[in-house]
Amino acid sequence: MPWLACNSRRIHYELAGPADGPACVLINGLTQYVRLWHPLRDALVARGLQVASFDMLGQGQSDKPSLFIHQDDQVAVLGELIATLGERPIFVAGISFGAVIALRYAIAHGHTIAGVVPMSGFAEIPAQLYMLGTALRTALILGGTTFLQDLLFPMNFSGEWLESKRDLIDIARHRGWLVNDVYALQNLMESFLDFEPLTPQLSSIRTPTMILTGEFDFLTPRPLQETLRVHIPDSALVIVQRAYHAFTLEKPELTAHLLTRFAEDVMGGRWRGKGTIWLAPEEVGGDFVPFPAGFDHMRAIPVRKDAREPAPRPETAAL
Amino acid sequence: MRAFFGPLEDDGSIPAHQQTRVSAFLMSAHGALARQLATALPGSVRSGWQVELHSQFCREIEILSLIARATAWVPDPTLPFLFWQWESAWLPHSVEGVTDGEQSFLIDLAAFGHALHSVIRPAALLPEDFPQTDPFALAMRRVEFESVRLMQAQILFLKGPELVPVRDAVAAAVERRHAQVREVWNGMLAGIEIEPSGRHLLVPVVKSAVADGAPTGAAAKAR
Repeated sequence: MPWLACNSRRIHYELAGPADGPACVLINGLTQYVRLWHPLRDALVARGLQVASFDMLGQGQSDKPSLFIHQDDQVAVLGELIATLGERPIFVAGISFGAVIALRYAIAHGHTIAGVVPMSGFAEIPAQLYMLGTALRTALILGGTTFLQDLLFPMNFSGEWLESKRDLIDIARHRGWLVNDVYALQNLMESFLDFEPLTPQLSSIRTPTMILTGEFDFLTPRPLQETLRVHIPDSALVIVQRAYHAFTLEKPELTAHLLTRFAEDVMGGRWRGKGTIWLAPEEVGGDFVPFPAGFDHMRAIPVRKDAREPAPRPETAAL
Repeated sequence: MRAFFGPLEDDGSIPAHQQTRVSAFLMSAHGALARQLATALPGSVRSGWQVELHSQFCREIEILSLIARATAWVPDPTLPFLFWQWESAWLPHSVEGVTDGEQSFLIDLAAFGHALHSVIRPAALLPEDFPQTDPFALAMRRVEFESVRLMQAQILFLKGPELVPVRDAVAAAVERRHAQVREVWNGMLAGIEIEPSGRHLLVPVVKSAVADGAPTGAAAKAR
């Protein structure tokens, strides 16, 4: 079982796949741990990438600082792991909390990686996200990890997926409760209490950036991804259709397809971010489709950008 | 070594010698904390934070009472030696870098409480198939659940504004208490053939639970 030492802390990580090709580093979200990446990891390895995943400080088998966890420390851990991978194309993909760490790394050390993929990420904490985070923290404090997970499951996944996995959710919840420690989760959540927006620094990210967002993600909704698209010069926003916050878990094969395509395009010199907006294919192997021209990608209904006049009122309006 | 209590007895209960050893440990640790809280608690409550101190003291007494009554005690000849070892570990320590004696005592008390309530997870040792009405098992769940709430007062104090000037000393004191409590807890569990880090290695069902598409492998078996 491989371990990494960073600032006197012990970090648990896993490596899988060929050691001589491009590599992809995966960064967890809150309550996740390395083994939850296995479906995505296996799909990436099958496509020829080496995958490095690790438990962030405070998660899984890595050390859990007792009182304070600083996000800079997480970035340092990521840097140590990337350094062990050597000189080759390295892509960094993080989800949610992990996306923030990926962005922080790209801001500070973007020259060491070939590309970055923030998934369900954010660079700011507006009131809605702040209040959700505060409520989740209160849930953790009052009801423990299980209550937090009870809230996170329906926030992260589609109803169809939850229904199809209904008989396994209890077991997954129990595993999550076993692996996570409340104080460590609380420390991770409280590392956002003094969060300074990353937005002013996003323009310094010069590495190719593919922003992945779930079509139905209400935890970190489209405006948060839009901030990334607008400020990161070589970025493209890719909307994963019918997906929620944790699409990496719900759609690992599709996510692997998207990540691999991104890596291939970057390495092949074909990547042109330019702030473009795309729809991800719904099936593995499908093509990216440009977001329909003239429509507003910030809306949930197909509103034309140039048709902002109020809709004509129905003649027989009942309301 | 096992990750959980067991093997279970024929009636589904946790072996009495494991109950005895774990409960003795918990009574030693929570008893020490209750005594230290009693020392810090004045006869008349005059400050807001002393209300919380009183609540903490009462919860610890409740935990002790519950453990004493819910455990199937059996003779354990090693307990006198172990008790001496444990009690030595719980003695108050001065906090390096904090010159105010009273503040140092309170920081160490909170650090000990934080470590006790966060590192010690007796419910995480229960096997998945334990009887849902077993009093010892339910007591362990109650102790762990209450610990999460009790820990909040320690977190508020240790991360609070009045300790900002000595934050590094506080963090070091809490880390030291965590390491100490973890070492003693793990040592005690090793004596009853339990390796608590084994909880991280239970994965097949989780892996398949999050996999896309039709159930395969372990998921299919689980069904």
